[in-house]
Amino acid sequence: MSSTPAGKNIKIDVHHLTRVEGHGNILVNITNGKIERCDWQVPESPRFFEAMVRGRHYSEVARIVSRICGICSVGHTLASVKATEAALGIEISLQSRKLRTLLKHAENIDSHIVHVLFLAAPDLLGAPSVFPLVATHGEVVKRALRLKRFAHEFGSLIGGRTTHPTRVVPGGFSEHPTTPQLTELKRRFLTDVVPDLNAVLELVTQLAPKFPAFNRPTEYMAVHSDSEYGLYDGVIQTVMPDGTKQKYSVDDYRSYTNEYVDPRSTAKYAKNKMDSYMAGALARFNNNYDQLHPEARKVAEQLGFKPPCFNPYLNSVAQVVEIVHSAYESLRLLDELIAAGIKEEPLVKPTKFGAGASVVEVPRGILFHWYQYNSAFDCEAGDCIIPTNQNHANIQLDFDKLVPEMLRADKNEKEMELALEMLVRAYDPCISCSTHYLDVQFKR
Amino acid sequence: MRYLVGIGNYMMGDDGIGPRIVEYVADHRLNSDFEVLDLGDNGLNLLSYFDQTTDRMLWVDCVRMGCQPGEFRYFKPEQVESQKYLARRTTHEGDLLKVLEIAQAAGYAIPEIEIMGIEPEQVQQGQGLSEPVAKLFKTYVDEAIRRISSG
Repeated sequence: MSSTPAGKNIKIDVHHLTRVEGHGNILVNITNGKIERCDWQVPESPRFFEAMVRGRHYSEVARIVSRICGICSVGHTLASVKATEAALGIEISLQSRKLRTLLKHAENIDSHIVHVLFLAAPDLLGAPSVFPLVATHGEVVKRALRLKRFAHEFGSLIGGRTTHPTRVVPGGFSEHPTTPQLTELKRRFLTDVVPDLNAVLELVTQLAPKFPAFNRPTEYMAVHSDSEYGLYDGVIQTVMPDGTKQKYSVDDYRSYTNEYVDPRSTAKYAKNKMDSYMAGALARFNNNYDQLHPEARKVAEQLGFKPPCFNPYLNSVAQVVEIVHSAYESLRLLDELIAAGIKEEPLVKPTKFGAGASVVEVPRGILFHWYQYNSAFDCEAGDCIIPTNQNHANIQLDFDKLVPEMLRADKNEKEMELALEMLVRAYDPCISCSTHYLDVQFKR
Repeated sequence: MRYLVGIGNYMMGDDGIGPRIVEYVADHRLNSDFEVLDLGDNGLNLLSYFDQTTDRMLWVDCVRMGCQPGEFRYFKPEQVESQKYLARRTTHEGDLLKVLEIAQAAGYAIPEIEIMGIEPEQVQQGQGLSEPVAKLFKTYVDEAIRRISSG
């Protein structure tokens, strides 16, 4: 790789990028105007979840794999129970399906609020973290915290709790929310959520022009369904830079994810038709714009945001549109569930044994689970392909285009570093090694 | 209401001690007069419990505080300074002290909080606890229950 201007020396070594979940490194070396190194590195080690589920009864598997992620544990739980149900011939009721979709929306709102307002917005407002924003943008931070709190309580009501939900089990729900609880939830949506959401949207509208202008058309992969925005269920769909869409069967997911190893990362990379693909909110937006709730489409139009969008920085904007979608879709589902009344339903039992795959969209993108069960309904094998890993190759290819562009534009080291950090954060990566332990010194 | 709160990454060695303790308490139904919360990595969810209905919280967390691995110590948030904050190495919401800081700044009602800090031996990828932490697991459980139930 080489570029201009000649004579420029840049050294970027961001070890453990902040405001992402887990550890990722950015390494750029430019000597005398020549790019010698430009790497997105993810030093994570295998965690052997697939081995841990072996020998476990089907009723235990989801609880184990929900530990894959402390942020997207709803998504992992749903992907797991769906794959188990596919393997064991379990058809859940319409009520269970609607409740699970509601839980998916709760997770989407919860995670996106944190990413957009707490992780991405500080860059656009020139702050090192969300903390200085309490002084300068206190009202919006408070509203964002309220939305986050609401989403957590919403998810807890449906799933038992949002971190490692307990009520979602193969065959349905072990416990159901009551109709009065859902009615109260709907009331809070209308009185609390909608006004807070509007205030957050106002801020995002102001910030929208500050997102860096960078375009790299790539392949976008997401779950697709004609009847919904493809969060809980559907087929695999990709949209290419020229707008052509192709659908794939979930059972063949390995043929379209093609995991491989790259020396720059111990996490696996993935690709389909192109050298990389993007997963996440922007991929969903590009694939499923027509299935967005009209209120969400209206917000997208107000923001001047339409598909196909090739700017990965705008993944955060796609997340904002999805927050609106999830809020209004939740209201619609709540109306339906309240009108029908919640019925206590027994868990649906297995009708066969064998292998089954599933797909769901988690906040960071498309997630695959697959299991094989024996006649005793014990798990014999499992496979999980998480979205953050599917994005690593795409981030690297973004780097490969962005760094020469920035060099040509004569950006300095600090500007380049911030642009690369913001790019990675835009993908909202959730790397498995994130920790939150305290490191303290006692005051004397 | 009183809450026993566990936070940490189950898959990062001793960082998972908090969630493991509250999971054990919940599984064995050892909480008669308090609720258990497994926050996983999602510390901001703590905000949902900062209101007038919460009297006390005991946070069980992996804490680097210069003790011997496995040793535990009780302290209050105001007794310590976060070294992570001083080093500006916050990832995401950082840690529970950062969550507390933002909650205070945003005007949330903060209950009485005590932290049961457990000194890790290792915080790296791996599902198990280190030997010094694992061998005291039951002691931590008994101590945490006693502490949140007393007073």
